[in-house]
Amino acid sequence: MSSEPLLRVENLKTQFFTESGTVRAVDGISFDVHEGEIVGLVGESGAGKSVASMSLLRLVDDPGEIVGGEISYRGETIFGLEEGPDGELREREEMLSESEMRERIRGREIAVIFQDPMETLNPVFTVGGQLREFIELNRDLPSDEAKAQAIDMLREVGIPDPKERYEEYPHQFSGGMRQRVLIAMALACEPNLIIADEPTTALDVTVEGQILDLVDDLQDRYDTSFIWVTHDMGVVAEICDRVNVMYLGEIVEQAPVDELFYETNHPYTNALLDSMPRPDRTVEELDPIEGVMPEAINPPSGCRFHPRCPDAREVCTRVHPEPLEVDRADGYPHRAACVKHDVFDVGYDESVPLEAGDEAETGVGETGTEANVDSDSPLEEDQASTDGGESER
Amino acid sequence: MSTPDDPIGFGESDSSHGETLLEIEGLTKYFAADSGLFAGLNFEPDQFPPVSVGIDQVEAVDDVSFEIKKGETLGLVGESGCGKSTLGRTILRLLDPTDGTIRFKGEDLAELSGEQLRQKRSEIQMIFQDPQSSLDPRMKVGRIIEEPMQAHDMFDDEGREARAKELLEKVGLDPRHYNRYPHAFSGGQRQRINLARALSVDPDFVVCDEPVSALDVSIQAQVMNTMEELQDEFGLTYLFIAHDLSVIRHISDRVAVMYLGHIVELAAKEELFENPQHPYTKALLESIPVPDPRESGARGVLEGEVPSPQDPPSGCRFRTRCPRLIAPEEYDVSDEEWAHTRAFMRAVKRRTFEATSAAELRRKFFDGELPRGEAGEIVDEAIDLLATDRDRDGEGDGTVTEDDWNDAAELLLESFAERSICARKRPAYDLESEYGSETHFAACHLHR
Repeated sequence: MSSEPLLRVENLKTQFFTESGTVRAVDGISFDVHEGEIVGLVGESGAGKSVASMSLLRLVDDPGEIVGGEISYRGETIFGLEEGPDGELREREEMLSESEMRERIRGREIAVIFQDPMETLNPVFTVGGQLREFIELNRDLPSDEAKAQAIDMLREVGIPDPKERYEEYPHQFSGGMRQRVLIAMALACEPNLIIADEPTTALDVTVEGQILDLVDDLQDRYDTSFIWVTHDMGVVAEICDRVNVMYLGEIVEQAPVDELFYETNHPYTNALLDSMPRPDRTVEELDPIEGVMPEAINPPSGCRFHPRCPDAREVCTRVHPEPLEVDRADGYPHRAACVKHDVFDVGYDESVPLEAGDEAETGVGETGTEANVDSDSPLEEDQASTDGGESER
Repeated sequence: MSTPDDPIGFGESDSSHGETLLEIEGLTKYFAADSGLFAGLNFEPDQFPPVSVGIDQVEAVDDVSFEIKKGETLGLVGESGCGKSTLGRTILRLLDPTDGTIRFKGEDLAELSGEQLRQKRSEIQMIFQDPQSSLDPRMKVGRIIEEPMQAHDMFDDEGREARAKELLEKVGLDPRHYNRYPHAFSGGQRQRINLARALSVDPDFVVCDEPVSALDVSIQAQVMNTMEELQDEFGLTYLFIAHDLSVIRHISDRVAVMYLGHIVELAAKEELFENPQHPYTKALLESIPVPDPRESGARGVLEGEVPSPQDPPSGCRFRTRCPRLIAPEEYDVSDEEWAHTRAFMRAVKRRTFEATSAAELRRKFFDGELPRGEAGEIVDEAIDLLATDRDRDGEGDGTVTEDDWNDAAELLLESFAERSICARKRPAYDLESEYGSETHFAACHLHR
């Protein structure tokens, strides 16, 4: 563990200003990435993990905006606000300008690998040409040197016969090969940090295995740090050093990977692990998390997970927990945002447990767990219909 | 939960538990690679005559046989493009089979057509992967669920509405949502609507094509639990198609593994996961990331990519990537020598290395020692083609040309890969199970 983190994120807030209200997609998350580390950002769809990772490069599109917090990379301020003379918030002076971001940070210092390689590569240009152009622009190399570099990179990421394939178009590559091209592109400028946004989700398991192997191998050689965004706990267990679990725009648990799986401290992480079918053993009965994740536009009061939490008590509806250190492992803190831990000291033990179904005010008289699954749906659906039906799971 | 005059569960099913419900034999589905007026004409200028007639075929499903018993769930697992969805759709006769029989309750679905087939559809239903696109956004949920009943002339309007509401409740939705549109539901709820629609005509058999893969894990578990409850309640039989081995392991009774249009292994769930006998199944199982940081398995165990189904390998279709490809009998080589030769052959075919000196190639692939006998001579010949320092009869400057690569690859493939039993004969072996008593089918010559 090195003393100064490569990237530090503090209290980052990104919001989307939509017609139906403000969506707090990322709501005050803090984490850091040290050199040579793979840090996981894990959560279900809608948890805000992609928005969080794009905020790090200031790549949030309208109507989204980073509204608060601080992002610093190697002592430079990617984002930071200060209070102006009239009390209004304004961007700090040392904050990197848009052109500095473009010319120095994006691609050169921090690169991105996206989930869908077909959409990232332009179908009308050759794979090699796109890679060459990227290297040419970012490293100021003449065209022929950039081409040699590009071919080298393709070989590096395990693309057979790179000279031939340099001339081919993206559609002539398989999904796994395209993902390798993107990895080559990300690595081309030897960045210190790569943000990988669900890079293996669209791939078959055997191909996913190949890519994870490749990343491991390349990480050993280049000592690149990664922020690995995924929903797959299996992948997390496989490659991450430390993990941040996100729920509804917040980090609910933060721990080294072994700790997270063996000393789980947040009920959401626990529930997530319990609801997963396992490849390595037969689970007779799955224990799903009740209900669905609420909309970020109108999050529940107190702890955002309390309506679905098996351990929820009355106090959880009132007190909003920030992640606090509950344990320490390998020199890293293990933080959890759950008031059941002693450090919070808000009277969890004395509080009355919430009855399962208290929150569900449907009153249809359904019985059994299955009926409860969607019991908070009427409310949820009304919201969904107001924003045009974009209520993904 | 159910009322006395419960309309669900009418028409008691006529086959009892444990009987064979569906039996497919030699089922084959080929697609034409091109369509259109001149699809059958191929123009190849370097051949004589330059024009040939014949349609290229994509062998999506090739000679597949298995049976499904009443009340069980057969998991069908494979990577994208292996033909699992095509198989599911062919069984439902949404696609016309090229060959083979689909015996459903003793009747061959492959022979049926027109009205007879339409009638049969009330007994077999399907659930699709994408909960977004499989529901008509302009139809209310109630109509969506009633439509199949209408098509099969079941009940009157009121009866259908009552049943639709009952079904909504059964699949874990609020019956009051009867008048809502699909967009008001989340992904998991939409998949429940799909379930209700499929169940509306009281089918015996449901083909589920990746029903939970678009859902988040926590929602996945909810939907799978509901599917299992409904199976118990209505005595349903599922063919559950998925690419996710964890999901398959959870929900299936027996599992079939598919690779490039062939079933490579079929066994009871526990047996298949604990005692896999096909190298492909083993590779698949080893590749899954296990959600346990203390268990770091081997991964990326398979090299190369799936070949094109337009021109699949002969014999065992997995042989081009198989880590256990069997040595041809005519060569007397040790296991180690064969492993070296196999690795070299594949590296040449995929061109994963750059041409260098002969000594370097020998060192890199064979630890400096070529196999004995005839095999060694062939390898030596191939190395000679790829070596930069070979004696080229005075011509050239030692560069290895495209032709040299092709010649070397062809030489190696023809002398080794094509002579292996794996290339000459399609494997099919029934083995004894270690877990349970059911037969364990494995399509691999290692069990010969």
